[in-house]
Amino acid sequence: MSWAWQNRDQIGHLLASHLYLALLPVLFGIVVAVPVGIMCVRWRWTWPPILSLTSIFYAMPSLALYLVLIAYTGLTDWTVIIPLTLFSLSVLIPNVVDGLRSVPPPVKQAAVAMGFGATRRTIQVELPLAVPVIIAGLRVATVSSISLVSVGQLIGIGGLGYLFTDGEQRDFTTEIWVGLILIILLALLFDGLLVLARRWLTPWEARAPRQERRRVVQVALRGANAGVKGGSI
Amino acid sequence: MITFESVTKRYPGGTVAVDALDLEIPDGQTMVLVGPSGCGKTTSLRMINRLIDPSEGRIMLDGTDISTVEAPRLRRGIGYVIQQAGLFPHRTIEDNIATVPLLEGWNKAKARDRARELMDLVGLDANMARRYPYQLSGGQQQRVGVARALAADPPVLLMDEPFSAVDPIVRSSLQDELIRLQNELHKTVVLVTHDVEEAIKVGDQVAVFYPHGKIAQLDTPQHLLGSPADEYVENFLGFDRGIRRLAFFSAGQLDLETGTVLAADTTVEAARAAAQRCGEPWVLVTDGGNRQPQGWFAVSDLDRQPDRETLGSLSLPLAPLGHTFQVGRDSLRAALDATVLSRTGRAAGVDGDGRVVGITTYERLRAAIQTAEQAGLDGNPDQPAFREGRTTPEAQQAGADDAAEPAGEGVRPS
Ligand SMILES: Nc1ncnc2c1ncn2[C@@H]1O[C@H](COP(=O)(O)OP(=O)(O)O)[C@@H](O)[C@H]1O
Ligand SMILES: [Mg+2]
Repeated sequence: MSWAWQNRDQIGHLLASHLYLALLPVLFGIVVAVPVGIMCVRWRWTWPPILSLTSIFYAMPSLALYLVLIAYTGLTDWTVIIPLTLFSLSVLIPNVVDGLRSVPPPVKQAAVAMGFGATRRTIQVELPLAVPVIIAGLRVATVSSISLVSVGQLIGIGGLGYLFTDGEQRDFTTEIWVGLILIILLALLFDGLLVLARRWLTPWEARAPRQERRRVVQVALRGANAGVKGGSI
Repeated sequence: MITFESVTKRYPGGTVAVDALDLEIPDGQTMVLVGPSGCGKTTSLRMINRLIDPSEGRIMLDGTDISTVEAPRLRRGIGYVIQQAGLFPHRTIEDNIATVPLLEGWNKAKARDRARELMDLVGLDANMARRYPYQLSGGQQQRVGVARALAADPPVLLMDEPFSAVDPIVRSSLQDELIRLQNELHKTVVLVTHDVEEAIKVGDQVAVFYPHGKIAQLDTPQHLLGSPADEYVENFLGFDRGIRRLAFFSAGQLDLETGTVLAADTTVEAARAAAQRCGEPWVLVTDGGNRQPQGWFAVSDLDRQPDRETLGSLSLPLAPLGHTFQVGRDSLRAALDATVLSRTGRAAGVDGDGRVVGITTYERLRAAIQTAEQAGLDGNPDQPAFREGRTTPEAQQAGADDAAEPAGEGVRPS
């Protein structure tokens, strides 16, 4: 641990770049996923092709994508950000669509019968009610993204992933452990922040507090697991 | 006025849900559509606010074909209440109620004021304004649903099984509430239900549907109970329609016995004489000053009491009074019920202040029922029937002219 303290500046930089590489794709993802999701619900025929597309993004090996992208974006951050954005989209678009569709039929019907036009209905009724499902998607996307950044280390852009390759080359396990623990902590932190955001955004939800807490821990562990796997490819 | 002009609705797949329906729904009345599940009630209702478009025919609202009105604008002028309330879970109670005013572009403060007003109208506590729907019981949610539908003061109110999802006691009180509101507001209400009792209770007119989207009978509740159009309607109404029909005749038609209503300071001797004169086996004792009924003495028991004692001073226990009925307000059904439940086979009719007006017996009830049946069958069907707890627009007008409004009528001064 004294090693970590001595190298705190370098680790700080790696941490910042890790966050930047992980969160920007999620931000792009949500900005695109909401309008696309609304479109898929409003014009049903657009949903099947977009669903196929998101499945392809989801299944696409990141490594292959990096190698393809290097030809265009070179060794810049974009080579990591673009695949992660596509991954976020693959998680977020189906969640937005599910969320919009989860609005109970009597509520939707009441909105129509009250005289909401289609656009106002989407913005004032369906989207707010989709928030819990959308945030559930954001949690998966964020935790996954934080763990997947380290894969970028294969092309030299991997935030805290650097600690894995460097530690391995120098045969220095402490460094690997520090990287792993920091990634897990980041995943837990942002997951927690999203849980708080959801509480703040949905005061109208009846909740079961204890159950909620248990779920956070589960998701965080899953995230940490993904981080370990992502880092050890 | 809402008019269906030979309206047919055919769903994809060929189901004819509504079959060449002609129906006139007059302003200011409650029209109930009742029938078995799947008979096309909901479909008929939803065609009025264009949630469903007819396959054939047209629907006129105050002389305008509704298909020519832009749907969202049409809907903001028509309140809509559904079984599950359909409240917006993410909006507070006051914001739920303010929905249509806000859509209409009212400013927020005015819309909220209106919401508070409506909460009061439908009997919701003001401290619920900031709560969310999940914090309310089913019955309370349904009240919010009604308040929301009324918020922009639409002339028309559509209700689809509005009380079916709540338990029987709450349902009954919500029905009473609807009747009270209607006394006050006189909206054009179209209510769909599968419950005949509810239809009879809340409807000014009731349309009974055959199973396949045609009307079997359209009539006032008392005519429906008195003369069902065919066997289908008769079966649908149920077996005790004769007794239920008595709810449509006022207890004021009873010729009450007054000779055996005796103040507590009457002597035993005088009481025996009164009973003999009237040929009655029971006398009703009231307290001296304000004629509040106390209970009954059997004349056979009085025979063994000293002549000079007053009824009030006897150590003999009174037979319990039992239920009373209010002469000006209650129906023959209530009077019959009170009589059947009474140990003496008699029930006291009282006025609005609880003072005894007179006594009814089975014989007197039978006579009143016979007269009422005769009048009911010969009577003018357009004349508004007696309804428990109701005021007609005319009666309300008359009431408003009087300085003192009858108590317990549930009419709010506006
Ligand atoms: N959207 C629909 N598509 C096809 N058939 C429907 C649809 N809605 C209702 N129906 C059918 O139309 C008939 C009337 O339905 P409905 O108006 O809901 O009856 P009710 O409200 O009297 O129970 C039923 O046979 C029902 O199955
Ligand atoms: Mg129905």
